[in-house]
Amino acid sequence: MHTEFHKGGVRRNSIRFLQSLISRPEFGPFVLLVLEIVVFTARSPAFISPGNISNLLAFTPELGMISLGMTLLMVSGEFDLSVGSVFGFAPIVMWTFYNTHTTSLEIGFLVAMLISAVIGFVNGWFVTKLKIPSFLVTLGMLLVVRGTALYITDGFPQRTWTSDSLLMRVIVGEFRLADLRIYTSLLWFIFFAIILGYVLAGSKAGNWILASGGNPEAARARGVRVTRTKMTLFILTALISAYAGITSSIRVSAANPNSGTGYELEVIAMVVIGGTALSGGRGTIVGTVLGVLILRMMRNGIVLIGVPGLAYNIFIGGIILGMMALHSWLERRHRTGT
Amino acid sequence: MSDELVRMERINKFFGRVQALSDVTLAVRRKEIVGLLGDNGAGKSTLIKILSGALRADTGDIYLRGNRVDIRNTTDAMAYGIETIYQDSALVTELSIARNVFLGREPVKNPRWLNRLDQRLMSEVARESLRKAGITKEIPPTTPISALSGGERQAVAIARAMHFESDLIILDEPTNNLGVEETKGVLRFVRSARDSGHSCIFIAHNIYHVFQVVDRIIILRRGKKVADDIDPKRTTIEAVEELITGLEINKGV
Repeated sequence: MHTEFHKGGVRRNSIRFLQSLISRPEFGPFVLLVLEIVVFTARSPAFISPGNISNLLAFTPELGMISLGMTLLMVSGEFDLSVGSVFGFAPIVMWTFYNTHTTSLEIGFLVAMLISAVIGFVNGWFVTKLKIPSFLVTLGMLLVVRGTALYITDGFPQRTWTSDSLLMRVIVGEFRLADLRIYTSLLWFIFFAIILGYVLAGSKAGNWILASGGNPEAARARGVRVTRTKMTLFILTALISAYAGITSSIRVSAANPNSGTGYELEVIAMVVIGGTALSGGRGTIVGTVLGVLILRMMRNGIVLIGVPGLAYNIFIGGIILGMMALHSWLERRHRTGT
Repeated sequence: MSDELVRMERINKFFGRVQALSDVTLAVRRKEIVGLLGDNGAGKSTLIKILSGALRADTGDIYLRGNRVDIRNTTDAMAYGIETIYQDSALVTELSIARNVFLGREPVKNPRWLNRLDQRLMSEVARESLRKAGITKEIPPTTPISALSGGERQAVAIARAMHFESDLIILDEPTNNLGVEETKGVLRFVRSARDSGHSCIFIAHNIYHVFQVVDRIIILRRGKKVADDIDPKRTTIEAVEELITGLEINKGV
């Protein structure tokens, strides 16, 4: 499209291109991310050192994966507070099965994923069939799942360093890329982001997810299976949280029954910073990936430039409030039809 | 009776102990525009929801072209060629025009397992059917519904009903909250629907609108049918109002 236009046409086209870029909901988060990188790098060159980038990329995929699932769920109009406890619980199940010689590691993995799918199903069933708000249902589930993890382990971490299997290397194997230390979990995160991004924006299922969150009654009246859509997304979110938790347990060589505490709120923050509406109907995977990077880099960069780590939450809260104000302003401008 | 399109026979519906419909029978012929009138709570919406699959009758049968059919949900109703246009348009305001027109029946590209939306086809059809529904302004099909006016939204709902070749189009209070010009557009659509071979059930509070376009008026009162074959050309609005409310307005005159 950019060839064979005379000069004015090119300029008009590029202006229009720029306008459409700015009006995209991901534009705000994108600017914030660039700003963050620039400021942190200027204040502390160590921010872009291979060592720091490697550190950043080690943990980011784990929270990032949960955010991807949460994005789809939130676009459909629901959310899940039990993701953090599933993140802690699934590896406990897998490693307990393995360490007690009940099953092989692979079977333990499948059992953990299966139980997590059941957790997601129960969440979805309470929300869609009993019509209880997802806030209450998943808050209850958070306590049940966390409590179960603590009960079966007596509060002690499970050993995970005693084995080395192909499965572990596939999930979170380590390799070097130039000066960077990369885990395969990063590749899985990118893979999941592409798949789920496609599902949300380009597939029929994505249209159903958007419609279920936007106007469930209208969607149902057109034959969209709203209940089934939400149910599937609750299961997907639980599965991806379990997978992220297992990834984490292998990487840090410990399955701690307390790990993942508080992740649900950080994940929801990442998703809303990326432009997804808490009430549903609107959101993109690209926005969420930006939101994930914004919050993770903030946590990392703040320490590097010498702000006390305890002040971290002040910045996170500020970012959330600022981005919400920006999104609502853009939304209002959008609605008035400019 | 061979030109009968739909017949609802002896429909009963209870909400708890309240009987919303009792033994209501309703028939619509091919290319017929039927006005369904009644006061608030008369059972109009309940009756229509049963026909469009949003509710199920407790007892009673529905016949389509003489064959008994079982309408369990809205998908069934649409598959039988029954389209419903609600007063609030029943659109998803966050989604684009094209995505709304095809909501629930999205065209998918090959290979089918990829489940990929055929966005180009959706846009083309949406643009074309908007034009047919009487929107002359050039609105890109990617525009979200939230940026449209009430009349334009109703036009999208109408475009959707027209595109899917439905035999029976149910309009539930389609002119509520619309301006004068927009209302004219909807009434024009109802008249043209008959010419293009559709049947319509038209529900409105505004009796004048109903009188302008329908062939026959059916009146419900407190869940019962009180009139079935009122010809708007040979009846006065006052007479119809009396039947709706059950009060004799001209008493003593």
